[in-house]
Amino acid sequence: MLDAVIKAAGVRKNYLSGDRTLAVLQGVNFSVAAGESVSLRGESGSGKSTLLNILAGLDRPDAGELFWDNEAAHRLSLGQLTARRGRFLGMVFQSYYLIPEIDALANVLMSARILGSVGAPERSRAALLLQRVGLGERGHHLPTHLSGGERQRIAVARALMNRPKLILADEPTGNLDERTGDEVISLLLEVCAEEKTALVLVTHNPAHAKKTARQLLLQNGCFV
Amino acid sequence: MPWPVYLALKQLFPSGRISFFTIIATAGIMLGVTIMLMVTSVMGGFGYQIGRMIVDTQGDIQITAVTLIDGRKAEQIEKVLAATPEIEAFAPFASGVVMLEYANKPVFPSIQGFSFERMKKVLPLQRFMVAGSLDDMDDDSVILSTILATNLGVDTGDKISVYSPLMMERIKKNEALLPREVRVAGIFKIGHQQLDSSTVLCSLRLMQDLYGLDRRVHGYNVRLKPGANMEEVALKLEQTLPLGTKALTWYETNAEFQAIVAFERNMIFFLMTFIILVAAFSITSSLLMAVVRKTREIGLLGAMGGRARDVALCFCTQGLLLGAAGTGLGLALGFYLLHYRDNIVHLIARLSVGQGTFQKFYQFSELPSHTVTRDVVFIVVFSVIASTLAGLIPAWRAARLKPVEALRSE
Ligand SMILES: Nc1ncnc2c1ncn2[C@@H]1O[C@H](COP(=O)(O)OP(=O)(O)OP(=O)(O)O)[C@@H](O)[C@H]1O
Ligand SMILES: [Mg+2]
Repeated sequence: MLDAVIKAAGVRKNYLSGDRTLAVLQGVNFSVAAGESVSLRGESGSGKSTLLNILAGLDRPDAGELFWDNEAAHRLSLGQLTARRGRFLGMVFQSYYLIPEIDALANVLMSARILGSVGAPERSRAALLLQRVGLGERGHHLPTHLSGGERQRIAVARALMNRPKLILADEPTGNLDERTGDEVISLLLEVCAEEKTALVLVTHNPAHAKKTARQLLLQNGCFV
Repeated sequence: MPWPVYLALKQLFPSGRISFFTIIATAGIMLGVTIMLMVTSVMGGFGYQIGRMIVDTQGDIQITAVTLIDGRKAEQIEKVLAATPEIEAFAPFASGVVMLEYANKPVFPSIQGFSFERMKKVLPLQRFMVAGSLDDMDDDSVILSTILATNLGVDTGDKISVYSPLMMERIKKNEALLPREVRVAGIFKIGHQQLDSSTVLCSLRLMQDLYGLDRRVHGYNVRLKPGANMEEVALKLEQTLPLGTKALTWYETNAEFQAIVAFERNMIFFLMTFIILVAAFSITSSLLMAVVRKTREIGLLGAMGGRARDVALCFCTQGLLLGAAGTGLGLALGFYLLHYRDNIVHLIARLSVGQGTFQKFYQFSELPSHTVTRDVVFIVVFSVIASTLAGLIPAWRAARLKPVEALRSE
């Protein structure tokens, strides 16, 4: 499976809680093909976020291998991973994490800014993405003036800004009501498909999970 | 624009407005810089004024000799002085201490003798006269400093007796020399307590008589043309003047006094730097709170590929920008207040003790001010560096935040 966007093999992660070690991930094998959408479910505390962070290169596994686009990411330092992350993947979180001081458009552009300069092509892409997520008219609104659903759409646009090969979304509907959540998930799946971006969606909602091409369940530190 | 700078600007000026934090932090630095500039300028003003006063009473450069300067040597010296293009004017002087007596009251002032006609070109004597006139001077008259005249209770036209050390010499040889009766031709005021309390001016001839100098003098006062470099001229004179004569700048002849003034100034300057440090600390604490408040955003910047050092740069930049803005505004306010300092002093005087009382007790109606470029440069560099360093501690905290932990801190 050479065209795997991301691949993890034998990933283990333990946490020390008091004098007990908590084996959260116990040899997880996982890979996502280009443009594929995968959902991850599991009980609270099963290690979904932990796995996502490891996939994102934000955290290191205790053991195992990680490949980003067939590059051995587990051999890179956290600093090197950070330098590549902005181009390789985008992330969406439960709590949006928009920067409150800048408007919606600037928040989307922030992804490009971190990678380098912001020119006319970046601006038009950001505007286009905002339009795509249905907020074309709201580009100059501050995050505090937007609803939760609108904020999450902006977060989706921001994650897609740099044309990443992969989006990692950690419970993106956790803070939204059911209907808004459904809309956001549909949108996320649609734009990822349009952009040919692979998607890993962590969710508690079976209906949302069903919409992805492949569904995985994390239990006792392994996929079942 | 690199994103840390962009974000720093956006945090200080969110969507074009000025944040409350920016205003407070800038105001802190601004006030610190203003106070520092004003205090050092006024302190410098006092020092500068005293310096001017010294120059006004002894010239830029004083030529003195180990021995008395006789006619032949005087000729040599005058030839050198006349040939030096930077010199505007020069005049000989003789000085010493005498005893004055009036109505059985003795005082022991220092006395300066010189040719008024020549010395007028070197020192602005006319400016100091508060009673009588320089034109009234002859070889049997003196001019008294104002406090001295008040203490003795004499006025212009009164006759006083002058006793010189020469009389002691004569008494040892069993000769008696009668005190010299002189007329008070005028009263002068320089504006310096010490100089005004015990100085007598007389003609060079009278001084030479009192001290038995014949035609000899003690030295020369020299005034330079505007813009001439005092130290350079003094150095040049040292080399060309006859052996046994020295050319000292007013600064050198008052080195000890100048050292005290400089020490006081530096001390105040040093204490004032703490005002800016306090302001810088307030920036530190505000930015630290911002780091805590923005923990998850900082984590997100990491998740988007922002490097830790760029996150740190963002906070350092905020410190730098606040410092630069505060410093600029502080300088502007400081120079503005210095420009209107007299109005301010008068206002305070009117509101507190009343204009008249204020002038009587504080001896000045106008606040002196002299701003040295070097001080301004120091204030600017110091406050900008202090503010930038103030951002460094929060920056370091922010950079140390690991994105995973930052994002998890719900
Ligand atoms: N830094 C840490 N130190 C100690 N334990 C940790 C740490 N991070 C996570 N854990 C533990 O690891 C386990 C998995 O956490 P994780 O956040 O991955 O769960 P999750 O599946 O995302 O849960 P949820 O659905 O509630 O988000 C939890 O029991 C958690 O307490
Ligand atoms: Mg989670």
